[in-house]
Amino acid sequence: MVNTNTNALGIIFPNSYDALVPELVNVRLMASIPFASRYRLIDFILSSMTHADINNISVMVNNNYHSLMDHLDSGREWDLVRKNGGLHIFPPFAEKGSKPYNGRVGAMAGILEFLRDQREKYVVITDTNIVVNFDFKAMIQAHIESGADVTVAYNEQELPESFLKSESNDKGYYYTFGIEDGRITKIYVNSRKAGIQNFSMNMFVVERELLVDMINTAFVRGDEFFERDVLLPQLGRLNVHAFKYEGYVARICDMKSYFDENMKLLDEYNLDALFSGPAIYTKIHDDNPTRYIGSAKAENVMVADGCVIEGEVEDSILFRGVKVGKGAKVKNCVLMQGTVVEAGANVEYLIMDKNVTITAGKEMKGTNTFPVYIGKFQVV
Amino acid sequence: MAKEMIAMLLAGGQGSRLYALTQELAKPAVPFGGKYRIIDFPLSNCVNSGIDTVGILTQYQPLILNEYIGNGQPWDLDRLHGGVHVLPPYQKASGSDWYKGTANAIYQNISFIERYDPKYVIILSGDQICKQDYSDFLRFHKEKDAEFSVAVMEVPWEEASRFGLMVADENDKITEFQEKPKNPKSNLASMGIYIFNWDILKKYLEEDEADPNSENDFGNNIIPNLLRDQRRMYAYHFSGYWKDVGTISSLWEANMEILDPEHSGINLFDEEWKIFSRNSGMTGHKICAGAEVENSMITDGCRIKGKVRHSILFAGVKVEDGAVVEDAVVMGGTVIKAGAVVRHCIIAENVTIGENAVVGAMPTEEENGVATIGAGITVGDNAKIGPKAMINKNVEGGEEKW
Repeated sequence: MVNTNTNALGIIFPNSYDALVPELVNVRLMASIPFASRYRLIDFILSSMTHADINNISVMVNNNYHSLMDHLDSGREWDLVRKNGGLHIFPPFAEKGSKPYNGRVGAMAGILEFLRDQREKYVVITDTNIVVNFDFKAMIQAHIESGADVTVAYNEQELPESFLKSESNDKGYYYTFGIEDGRITKIYVNSRKAGIQNFSMNMFVVERELLVDMINTAFVRGDEFFERDVLLPQLGRLNVHAFKYEGYVARICDMKSYFDENMKLLDEYNLDALFSGPAIYTKIHDDNPTRYIGSAKAENVMVADGCVIEGEVEDSILFRGVKVGKGAKVKNCVLMQGTVVEAGANVEYLIMDKNVTITAGKEMKGTNTFPVYIGKFQVV
Repeated sequence: MAKEMIAMLLAGGQGSRLYALTQELAKPAVPFGGKYRIIDFPLSNCVNSGIDTVGILTQYQPLILNEYIGNGQPWDLDRLHGGVHVLPPYQKASGSDWYKGTANAIYQNISFIERYDPKYVIILSGDQICKQDYSDFLRFHKEKDAEFSVAVMEVPWEEASRFGLMVADENDKITEFQEKPKNPKSNLASMGIYIFNWDILKKYLEEDEADPNSENDFGNNIIPNLLRDQRRMYAYHFSGYWKDVGTISSLWEANMEILDPEHSGINLFDEEWKIFSRNSGMTGHKICAGAEVENSMITDGCRIKGKVRHSILFAGVKVEDGAVVEDAVVMGGTVIKAGAVVRHCIIAENVTIGENAVVGAMPTEEENGVATIGAGITVGDNAKIGPKAMINKNVEGGEEKW
């Protein structure tokens, strides 16, 4: 048999960092947050995995996951309907007296039997709050060549402002690294350090059997977080390597970064950087093309299919099926699927969640530093 | 397991009147309406009407069409029993033959049809743009206790002689058939969409095959034979949007009509009757600063920097700075370079129009041709393509073609 499959399976944590964007995950989870006019965050990771021939993928949903189940369906859009492997969605395995898990350790402890039974040699673990067109093959190759026990991807960037300012740890943990000769020697938890950091992308490659052992031991010890409780204390014993990623990275760390990272894609340089690699797959809606009618004006916008534009749109991202009425003005907005800006309305610096309606003639404005978010199904 | 009705879709036509567009492409695979191909319309109609088994009869340049249909999944036609099947002519123990005519194409696939043991068979044509509920057509067929029904459209009397016409009584019973007559007795044009009781169709196909003088054609042979035998034949009136897109000008016109659904009758924004297609998988389209877009349809992957007026752009079209696109149909992957002007034309897939080149012209009283550029062509910088031109070879920079 020709061995076309990468010898790795994928594990995705779709609820990671939900707490950073409480409004957006009110009716969903991190992985199903709409992004870049027609995608959801998980599309980037799933497509990257598919392109790396990783086609045995487990999604560890924890809560608020109906929207993600609907989005993923059988996994066909990502070519994940496979007899061997394919897409698995693992909700928490609840028994009488079992407590919900907090971190990766508890989540993976719940599927240890499954992990033991798989045949792939390696496991690739990721979150979904990070938008990348990632080459997992390169990372696995680097892992094999370095002989590391665990390889973690990072990029060099400054921490987002909200991370620097935050004084508590109640929104979760992020990690930065001290690296020597490609080996991670220090893991800093919530460092709040200014300047360029080796910022963890929370993507790991590890041998499956080693992972099973690590999780088994850690779970018995009562550990919760893979980085903080498993890797950090064992840095001396384990060979943990860093994989530097130099491609385009968009991180969703708060509402502001969600807005900014969408807007950044209006710059063609960024758009090409993210999308010129292999295609990013998403759920197909069979919308017809977008129609610009009469006196419609559009400048510097990214627009998905199924929209009807009769008014003016500028510097904005429009998802599928958005309607902008006659004489309406939309500027610096992120309008999610099915939103309606009725005739004569005037909106600026808004993030409108799905199916929001701004009624005729209304005016509503946020600011550059504080874009206003309007929840799903609201009518203004 | 028997099926009530299955569909046979005639998709073998060369579409020779589309010239440059069908050099390497079967007519049903010709792109239409921004993100569709013509065949998406009959296939979507089938699925929306509850028909889950479709045989597609192919013969001319089938490669792109075959790949496009694939396993039928985009139309929800990947089924355990039934689904979509591409049916090219094939070799049999008794010999082999190309499809000699529309009726012969069905005749050669009698064994395919019998696998599903259908009561009715609907014959569809792969070169029409139409949203039609075939289940309503079948209801009519059953109500009339018909053996054969044909969908008809009322056409203006002065144009009637261009069509195959059905003469029917007040009960819609067909009494006469006139193929492109000089003196029309009816203005009910056949749409080339038929429902047959399978036993009747089979009988007449076999009889037709045995006749060495037959052209093996539904219009010229099968329907006249049914009339001769006074079969129960009925005309089903259809009044929605229907357009034969067999010529360059009708294809261009049908595309333009999408831009005016309020008047033209075809509405692609219909949640109840979606037209499905295989998706390009590109990102949302980008209208850049300084671009102008007016009265147009634009889809995924397009990048617009110039001016686009009253046009249909397919997936991944690029319109560079200072370029002008007006009254144009521009198919997938085509690049209109800086300063080029394209007007009143059809530009096929993956064409490059060089800088400052001019393609087509707005119609005048003397000249209203639709310039047409075939797939994969490169038109050099500063070249000039006249409004009547039909280009299927690369055009050098500065060259003029009329």
